[in-house]
Amino acid sequence: MSEPRADYLPEHIREKLIHDPRVAEQDLKVEVKEHRVMLGGNVATPQLHQTLTEVASELLPGYEIVNETTVVSSAEPDGEEPVS
Amino acid sequence: MIRIAAVGDLHYGAGSQDILRPSLEHLPDRADLLLLAGDLTRCGGPEEVQVLADQIRGLPIPVVTVLGNHDYQSDREDEVRRVLERAGVTVLEGDAVALDVDDVRVGIAGTKGFGGGFRGAHGSDFGEPEMKAFIGHTKMLSDGLERALATLDADLRIALLHYSPIEATLEGERLEIYPFLGSYLMAEAVDNAGADLVLHGHAHHGTEKGRTPAGIPVRNVAQPVIRHAYNVYALDARRQVLPAAAEGIS
Repeated sequence: MSEPRADYLPEHIREKLIHDPRVAEQDLKVEVKEHRVMLGGNVATPQLHQTLTEVASELLPGYEIVNETTVVSSAEPDGEEPVS
Repeated sequence: MIRIAAVGDLHYGAGSQDILRPSLEHLPDRADLLLLAGDLTRCGGPEEVQVLADQIRGLPIPVVTVLGNHDYQSDREDEVRRVLERAGVTVLEGDAVALDVDDVRVGIAGTKGFGGGFRGAHGSDFGEPEMKAFIGHTKMLSDGLERALATLDADLRIALLHYSPIEATLEGERLEIYPFLGSYLMAEAVDNAGADLVLHGHAHHGTEKGRTPAGIPVRNVAQPVIRHAYNVYALDARRQVLPAAAEGIS
């Protein structure tokens, strides 16, 4: 298979991140501008945030990786919601 | 009041194995049940869910779960299920469980559910075999949910799903992917059979709160949505909402 055109490169990267077991995250946003990759969305932990940068660097060597994903809080809730 | 702790989309895997653990110590003081709305793992590996199972084994409150799409990724969902069951977790798919909590019988009917879309824009099981299989799967699971709910003899009834039954709790997601996030067929099943609360996950960019067309409360408890280890919902068994009574609730 040929190398993806620039128009389709972000989607190819997004698909590879979904299928990489180190990431397996379906809700990431990927943008590529020249030799810079912007990653957005949520990740569960700081470690996963770091792993995402590393995997993206492997997929696009030589590109600058700008990882703007947010680590989601997993603190205990403050209270409870009465539901009716 | 019965207090239901709920969360979905924990996605246990390397590097994200401690989402729930720090909060488990206080959980039994804050909730009577823990319900998990699927996607317990990142890639459906039994070794991934084993970490979660070890953390929740021995909790003094019942734990009930459905599986999510990620839990099917490695085609080892039966092993994932067995790991959870060995830890004392009840895993539902098209069936139900009734638990006695402080003299209140709490019934939970569960299914992963599936996609298809929502009223006015739902896929049909028409045309190619792949399309028939897609929508047919949703219909089968929705029918199973309705049967499981309808046969529950309980003071409170909860529908536990992974995919969303309504559009309102998807708000924030891209419209183009709604058909992959849920189906109205599950809302119809819940409205036909009646329930007091519907819980689901899957939609990480969605919204927590909504209601079915008949007025039954729906909560999207995907962890990235609730942004806590879990949320707690308090239900009053004396104010059970039945389908007819729920008509017109906004």
